[in-house]
Amino acid sequence: MLLDVLQGAEAGSFIIFRDSASCPGRRLLKSYVHAALKREEEVHVLEFEASEEELPTGLDVHCAQRLHIHGGFADPLGWIKRSSFTVHQFTSRSISTLISSQPQSKSALLVIDSLSWLVRHLDPVVICKRLQEIRRGGAVKTIIGLLHADLHQISVVGSVCHLASTVISVEPRTNGQWVLAKTTKRTKSGKVLQEEELFSIQENLTVTVHSKVSHTTQTQPETDSVEADPAANLTFNLHLSEMEREAKEKVALPFVFSQEKKSALLNAGQGAGRILYEPDANDDFDQEDPDEDLDV
Amino acid sequence: MFTDLNSILNTSPDNFKQGEFVLILDRKADASFLVHHFLSFYLRAGCKVCFLGLVQSFSHYSAVSQRLGVSLAQAKEKGQLVFLEGLKDCLGILLPGGTKPERPTLDFFSPQCSDLRGLFEFVLSSLSPAGGAGGQGDSGPESLRPPVLIVDDLSVLLSLGVSAGAVLDFAHYCKAHVCHELKGSAVVLVRCEEEEEEEEEGDEQGAEMLLKGLTHQCTLALQVQGLPTGYCRDIHGQVDIWWRGESQQQNHRKVFQYKVQDKGASFFARGTSSAVL
Repeated sequence: MLLDVLQGAEAGSFIIFRDSASCPGRRLLKSYVHAALKREEEVHVLEFEASEEELPTGLDVHCAQRLHIHGGFADPLGWIKRSSFTVHQFTSRSISTLISSQPQSKSALLVIDSLSWLVRHLDPVVICKRLQEIRRGGAVKTIIGLLHADLHQISVVGSVCHLASTVISVEPRTNGQWVLAKTTKRTKSGKVLQEEELFSIQENLTVTVHSKVSHTTQTQPETDSVEADPAANLTFNLHLSEMEREAKEKVALPFVFSQEKKSALLNAGQGAGRILYEPDANDDFDQEDPDEDLDV
Repeated sequence: MFTDLNSILNTSPDNFKQGEFVLILDRKADASFLVHHFLSFYLRAGCKVCFLGLVQSFSHYSAVSQRLGVSLAQAKEKGQLVFLEGLKDCLGILLPGGTKPERPTLDFFSPQCSDLRGLFEFVLSSLSPAGGAGGQGDSGPESLRPPVLIVDDLSVLLSLGVSAGAVLDFAHYCKAHVCHELKGSAVVLVRCEEEEEEEEEGDEQGAEMLLKGLTHQCTLALQVQGLPTGYCRDIHGQVDIWWRGESQQQNHRKVFQYKVQDKGASFFARGTSSAVL
């Protein structure tokens, strides 16, 4: 599916490349741009993070002509009044004037490198609104953007990604040279397709998919769920045989009040203790308060 | 200047890569020995250096550099080194009777200023070939070497009330101008504190965001950590060196252990300390 996305998308789609500090995704973005240029599309880049010289390296002259970089790299906030495009100029109107300033026949591809710059300086609501305006505006065929997901709150990343028709998250793989790409694609019918692929990018920026990570292995019944018997390898016997169980049930427990005990208590036999009391002459026995001497 | 580290990074004062943005970060260890390394390295290479010293006084850096064989006072006199004594200047602004600076370098203290534009303008004016606070008149061979910015350290700005986003903007502008336009290099130090319970949630998020953002920007990251097994007399910690290129081949990392010595530091592969073998 990653290759399908890189092949080019239908009009009005919005693709987000999500990366993190441990696995930069700019090279994948670059390979998309190069592929688009080779398809003879007009590419407009809002460049905030890499220098203007970086992107066209490795492109032939013919392709480079269709690449228009609107550099905000040197001065993205307008501190030194040298920028051709600042973060705060990100409105649908200024984008369409930028794009229409270039004579071309068909609608263009807009690359935002990176969305993180916008998210850090503008309100997420404003960004979502303006992105939506640009998509509907018609001047732009496709928008693609790089988003450093680890720089922002999850909620903000989530709401920007909700706008996108395709989200490609790149994640590092410890084994080997390959990178894992998780592609989530929403088709117009509303169906959501997901796929994980291992890929690498060649020197000439072509993407090779090596293997698909299948989900079927994950949904199989997990072996861990089979309960282990804790009494399996014990040095003593925890189990009872049938005979042992019978013998155990026959034993009377010491405090069970059986018939024998009851009769023994009721018919006090000889030798049982009795209390004899002969009142003393001095005894001042009060009938009404027999416990008077207890000093309670 | 540590020759061990130079050979690991494959550089020397005569031949070093231009346009590098080096991030030094430390966790449970002190990475300032690397700041001293880069300071003496670039001074020896003949580069014009702008040093933003926010955590120590000039005499501290001067004393350490003396041991490494570089005289900061001389470099400053020659105009090769521009030193911002942040520690002293901050005090001047904060104390009621302090001397107020004329330039807006430390403007971020005032409540109506939330960005580090003043500080960036200071860097720009000290490193640009035309102006320069040092007033370097002669156009000798030294002025041909690329300029270098060293910051010790950026996390202090967070403690002084600057937001992580503003620090990232400052770092971006420094990268754009020093590394790309002037083809120089930048070295910044960031300290990451271990998560502590008492610390405020917002503070910690800011520090983490600064760290991630700078990692995205840098071309070389040196992460200094204490040993996971605890303090050791013969191995002071480990450095995770991360070359951050775009392609998978350029993007690789290696871990070395180090020991800081009286005049320098030695770096060796894990488990090959002379105390072990």
